[in-house]
Amino acid sequence: MGLVWRKIVDVVAIIILAVAVLFTRDTFLIYLMSLFMIFAIFALSYNIILGYLKLISFGHSLFFAAGAYGVALSSKLAPPDMLLSFLFGIVLAAVLSVTVGYITLRHSQIYFAMLTLAFAMLFYALLIKWRDFTGGSDGISGIPRVSVLFSFPTTESYYIFVLLCFTVAFILLKLIDESFIGIVFRGLGDNENRFKFLGYNPVKYRILALMLSGTFSGLAGTLYALLYRAVTPDIAYWTVAAEPLVMSLLGGSAYFLGPVVGAAVFVGITTAAARLAEIWQLIMGVIIAALLLGVRGGLLGVLERLWQKRF
Amino acid sequence: MLELLGHQLLTGLFRSSYYWLIASGLTLIFGVTRVVNFAHAAFFVLGGYIALTVDILTGNFWLSVATSTIAVGLLGMAVERGLVKPLYRVESLYQLLITFAVTLIINDASKLIWGAASRSMKIPAELALPVKIAGRSYPLFFFFIIATAVAVFILLYIVLEKTFWGLKVKSTWRDVSMAQALRINTGRIYTTTFFIGSLLAGFGGACMVAFTPVAPGLGDSLIITAFIIVVIAGLGNLIGAYVSSILIGVAESLFLLYLPELDILLIFVIMAVVLLVRPWGLFGEK
Repeated sequence: MGLVWRKIVDVVAIIILAVAVLFTRDTFLIYLMSLFMIFAIFALSYNIILGYLKLISFGHSLFFAAGAYGVALSSKLAPPDMLLSFLFGIVLAAVLSVTVGYITLRHSQIYFAMLTLAFAMLFYALLIKWRDFTGGSDGISGIPRVSVLFSFPTTESYYIFVLLCFTVAFILLKLIDESFIGIVFRGLGDNENRFKFLGYNPVKYRILALMLSGTFSGLAGTLYALLYRAVTPDIAYWTVAAEPLVMSLLGGSAYFLGPVVGAAVFVGITTAAARLAEIWQLIMGVIIAALLLGVRGGLLGVLERLWQKRF
Repeated sequence: MLELLGHQLLTGLFRSSYYWLIASGLTLIFGVTRVVNFAHAAFFVLGGYIALTVDILTGNFWLSVATSTIAVGLLGMAVERGLVKPLYRVESLYQLLITFAVTLIINDASKLIWGAASRSMKIPAELALPVKIAGRSYPLFFFFIIATAVAVFILLYIVLEKTFWGLKVKSTWRDVSMAQALRINTGRIYTTTFFIGSLLAGFGGACMVAFTPVAPGLGDSLIITAFIIVVIAGLGNLIGAYVSSILIGVAESLFLLYLPELDILLIFVIMAVVLLVRPWGLFGEK
């Protein structure tokens, strides 16, 4: 029981800390924290594919954008209700991830990486070309944050909603991580042949993993769209899928908390060095190359070696 | 009607040759080293940029093609030696990731050097001569590219099938550890393959920049087309890659005639069908 209690104390402490941010009344800080939590969900969900299954997806921008456009489109076409469009975004991402998984996951790793990229590009092209429906390259703006039950007019009030979603997503993903399914996923990533010998069907579990991953990426996308109250097709471009990849590698994809640490560092760097936005891809490329050749364990791997403590 | 069809077929063939110039190196490198060189299309675009610069400096098309071929070939070799080689021993995931990192770096570096706007260069006078076929006139450049693609195909075929070096490459292709046991220096074969593959990318990019303008990020969509072509053929299958380049190029060109709105979808539909029916590719081995 002691261990469970310690975990609960940890979680409560972090939530109190997160709520404390609200009392600073610093809108920019609150906005940054929201952004961090959204990217942390995105990176955590991405790491199901990268860390457990040892697959690379260049297509997670598709699920992220599906969530975001799900919110935007349903608020434009249906009677706008935030909760409804929020759910619609997540469901849309889940459906798309199963569809993509069904086509791409029957083949080897390389097929998966390149084909998810192809699907992401297809989705991006559709968003741009299908102007009447998606607003083309202008996107859709003016997404309301109002529901029958509640409304979040300001960034501060919306922060509470993001915090709630983050906490729920974090706990769910942690449960998956520690449950039977998490172990099965890792086993599949470590050795597919042994996995098959044990009588499991690798394709089935891969599709399940992609569905979980895509759904949580969709959640991150819906939160992102509601944060800016607008969407543009840029978020469907495949370089967006490279961001959670960099975050996971940066923090350490072998650790559950790796992506969260990575997301914090990532949001920190992008904010501190906004002027570097011009050469942002270059920096990401250099970071990936350095991580791959130098420290494949990421930041948590380095810390682990320094402190001789397991995360 | 027939004339229009003929015209579409010819432009389709031209388009196929364009695709083949990218896909050939990609499938060669994959076949031998089992690395999907994500940066391959970025190399292709870089080849275009280098040719452009040399052309501005010297005004000589052929010199610019030669320079960019050699330069990109050497770059590919350097990338293999410096970045990919240390990762052969670990999971294949990392090899793809490192070439992906190279792509990101090349994309932004070329934006810094050559600007974000798309750039193009003029077709050299000797290749701009009009050739009349059935009432329509095409620049000689059209046929130059088609002929070049065929030449590349024949050359690769001869090198791989008729030379001793080609035999060594093919044995590495089949079974690396067996090749090593036969005292074939597989490390050098890998590096040379990367060199040749990148050479082709640089050459193709330099030739094509006279026709399609280059821009940073152009490689992103090219690598997808090239990869799909290679997948349809069966990964690592050279002859198949040439056939499927022609298939895709001509199909796209004809499709454009009837359903221009849906041109981006066609290649995905073909790919999805092939993957569902013959996942190992049209020419691949099961």
